[in-house]
Amino acid sequence: MALTRRQFLTLMGGSAGAAVFFQACGIPEKELLIDSPIEMPEDLVTGIDNWYATSCRQCDTCEGIVVRVMEGRAKKIEGNSDYPINMGKHGPRCEAGLQGLYHPDRISAPLVRTGPRGSGEYREISWEDAIARLTNELQNLQDSGDEGQAVLVTNPIGAHHGLVADKFASTFGARRFTYEPLETSVVRKVVSDVFGQNAMPDFDIENSDYLLSFGADFLSTWVSPTRYSRGYGEFRQGHDHRGKMVHVDSRFSATAANADEWIRVNPGTEGMFALSVIQHAVSMGHVSDDVVNALTGGDSDWLSTYSPENVAQQVGVSAETITHVAEDFTHSDHPLAIGGGSAAAHSNGYSAVKAVFSLNHVAGNIGKKGGVILNPDSPVDGLAAAPAGNSFAEFQRLTEDMQAGAVKVLMVRGADLFYGLPDIAGFKGRSASVPMIVSFGGMMDDTTSMADLILPEHHYLEDWGTDVPLAGVGYEVVGFQQPVVRPFFEDRGENLGTKGFADVLLAASQVMEMDLGLNGETFKDVIRESARELYGLGRGSINASSFESFWNGVLQRGGWWDVNAKGPNTAEPARLDGVSSPVISGSGEFTLMPFASASLLDGRNASLPWMQAMPDPISTATWQTWVEINHKVAEDRGIKEGDVVTVSASGRSITALAMPNPATPPDAVSIPFGQGHRDGGRYSAGRGGNVLAILDAVHDQATGSLAWAANKVSVTPTGEWVRVPKFENTVPEFPRDEHNHVIELTSGDAH
Amino acid sequence: MADSQDRKWGMVVDIDRCTGCNGCVIACQSENNIPNNLEEHFNQRRAIQWIRIERYWEGEYPNVKARFIPVMCQQCGNAPCEPVCPVYATYHNNEGLNVQVYNRCIGTRFCANGCPYHVRFFNFWEPEWPDSLKNQLNPDVTVRSRGIMEKCSFCVQRIRRSTREADRDGVQVEDGDRGISPACVNACPTTSLTFGDFNDETSQVSIMKEEAMSNRGKKDGRGYRLLDNLGTETNVIYLKKVDESAGAVHGH
Repeated sequence: MALTRRQFLTLMGGSAGAAVFFQACGIPEKELLIDSPIEMPEDLVTGIDNWYATSCRQCDTCEGIVVRVMEGRAKKIEGNSDYPINMGKHGPRCEAGLQGLYHPDRISAPLVRTGPRGSGEYREISWEDAIARLTNELQNLQDSGDEGQAVLVTNPIGAHHGLVADKFASTFGARRFTYEPLETSVVRKVVSDVFGQNAMPDFDIENSDYLLSFGADFLSTWVSPTRYSRGYGEFRQGHDHRGKMVHVDSRFSATAANADEWIRVNPGTEGMFALSVIQHAVSMGHVSDDVVNALTGGDSDWLSTYSPENVAQQVGVSAETITHVAEDFTHSDHPLAIGGGSAAAHSNGYSAVKAVFSLNHVAGNIGKKGGVILNPDSPVDGLAAAPAGNSFAEFQRLTEDMQAGAVKVLMVRGADLFYGLPDIAGFKGRSASVPMIVSFGGMMDDTTSMADLILPEHHYLEDWGTDVPLAGVGYEVVGFQQPVVRPFFEDRGENLGTKGFADVLLAASQVMEMDLGLNGETFKDVIRESARELYGLGRGSINASSFESFWNGVLQRGGWWDVNAKGPNTAEPARLDGVSSPVISGSGEFTLMPFASASLLDGRNASLPWMQAMPDPISTATWQTWVEINHKVAEDRGIKEGDVVTVSASGRSITALAMPNPATPPDAVSIPFGQGHRDGGRYSAGRGGNVLAILDAVHDQATGSLAWAANKVSVTPTGEWVRVPKFENTVPEFPRDEHNHVIELTSGDAH
Repeated sequence: MADSQDRKWGMVVDIDRCTGCNGCVIACQSENNIPNNLEEHFNQRRAIQWIRIERYWEGEYPNVKARFIPVMCQQCGNAPCEPVCPVYATYHNNEGLNVQVYNRCIGTRFCANGCPYHVRFFNFWEPEWPDSLKNQLNPDVTVRSRGIMEKCSFCVQRIRRSTREADRDGVQVEDGDRGISPACVNACPTTSLTFGDFNDETSQVSIMKEEAMSNRGKKDGRGYRLLDNLGTETNVIYLKKVDESAGAVHGH
């Protein structure tokens, strides 16, 4: 269209006028309220959401959660603000439970193997048939008097799940094992000896003013990270006086990154450091005679072997560093010591962690504000916190029994033995001698995909349960787990779909006419009976006039607790042991310091895409297995980020992607646990390497548990390069100069 | 709490509390239907995280520090992303939010170029989930299609929900734990994040902001804004990390 000059001017005048006109009116207000297309017209009813309280099973310590449910589907998990352990907070792993619930690779019916083991060839069968196949096998053993040839292995489960599993195994006469890849038996044994507690005590980080930690990555993965993180936040900025935190560790973990001071010690010498702090405190007369006598057995002379001057060289720090820590620790108002993790994963683990926890006796903080808070026993008989796993040594003996043909039925629940047991245990090969492997797995993890019979269990958001906290809060707590949605595979009918693990055991015992001594036919009935016991106590958080309203109350609030039913205020110190030099296996030039992945932990969360995609706090890497190496060492060796390297320990090796950083000690490399699954669904199968597989059989001397931090490895580039999937540099780094600052610091004396 | 017209939502981020755990990141992904970031998305530097944890290295072994800072849309009062949008897909609403209207967006990506905080993310692909995982999607939040820009909204759907429920019950909207809080704030185990109305003098964020900013430059004033010299007037206030060894105040 051709415009004349006159037409053009007319149009321009008109639009300018219109612009002025509209400007004067302003944009209609309703327009401004549009935020995204979510504002429904008034005649549309927005969905009604229900929030149900239950328990989270993503980590070692159950947290209270509330789940948002709309139209029968779980939409969001948040912390239960009533629940004493996490008080409304939750960590990164918690929310990913939803992806477990709606995982595309869940098993939707009982399966029986039709092809060779590991081929993935299965046929669906009915639950009736499946339970009959299990009970037939068990009854055959019963008939020949070989009940002990049945083995039930689970992850650490406590409270009602543990109760049913234990009763089932003991009534039948099966051997019962508990398996966890990163064993806690060292720490649990120390806690029992030093504090007299069956489960973990509470650490009052919030009210402490000097926190000395050894090895444990307690802000990220260790025992109860959400609770500890909550305390940490208050420890930093919740009081007028900001707490100081010193972390003694052989690796620069997420916890080390948040400490005011990271003291790098040689691997396996954390206990010597702790013992040396005790020695210095004792020699300076900072410790009462009673405690000194109890710790040393009456003669404190032997402690002088561990004086700062004597151990400094072996620990790899100066004597002044140790004395400085000892002085600060003893002169603080509320000192607190925590330890575990890699410090416990050495041949001297038990004596090391014992020295660490005994520092709390030195500080005299047991039962005190800012100290170690002890827990009472469970209010219900027979319900206990989840036990520690059996030791690696015991599992090694189990594999020998398997080879000798002494295991006929291996039942596995929540324990991925094929993945987690180091190759040196020979489990994979020896499993061929077990005629029947039964898995309760709801997903094809590495063990389930080798099973002959699969009895897929509910996801925890579909199941009943209770929890006695692994790490309590100083008073009685029982968490309640209820189904927040109907089972996802319900539409497959009564005879297919999934069933709760405990319900299957109860059903099997009914078929075998075995009396487990539990009240109730279903798992829910059993739990209700225990709730009745709680109701009968007539105290605690739920005030109800009838049992039914009490029952509704515990389900509504996610649990029962009694703030007045506290644990003991004192504990008798235990005699310390000398901390021997750590046994380090292998001859490579680097010490291997594996660590629990912040998202995948020991590998249990590898099937969940949110967890795979969660950047590691230190490396920001995702989806892969990487090896952290000091960047200067890497440069000297011509290794750059993404180089595929072979990490070899005592003849076994994995490949990983090199990830140089400035914080890795020059004599060590670090690899996260969690990847390298053969199976486990589309998001985990065949991804990365499994560092557990290459570990040598070094044991903690006192408990026989696996010393997973005690290997030397060599690192050899393969010549290949792969881009590391990491979050770093996904967005450009902020410019950093005198005008542009991203992280501003202020000095400590400001507070 | 003031009327809707007078609200100004803001956040205070205490980086002395932050441990870099990524709890906020996962909470955000769950709440806001963010597509799964697959391995190739990271490799192409196209992963989407409305809130992210940045990690900065300082020093060399053994005197090395890693510092963490959560970064989300700063909800600028004077936002560089807004004037460049040719279709008003991004604009300022009257509650102080910098808002993205998905069905206006035509994907020019001018806003992402303009944003100095790099908190805008472009959907290079149609988002995909296996059918069963779609059951988790939040019905309150639109799934963004290919070619659309997206970013942190301070969980506007949660603000709307709380407002609606308060209107229905005839009560005032509360901020904090029991009332309005974005998913990241709700999750944060260390209480590093605090959310609320800066126009309400009694709200916790206002009190924190007042304390932090009034003493700026002085010893106990920890408040600062990211890239403050750009004049973006952000509605996210950061509180400095306290470092015993810092001696003097860094970064000024």
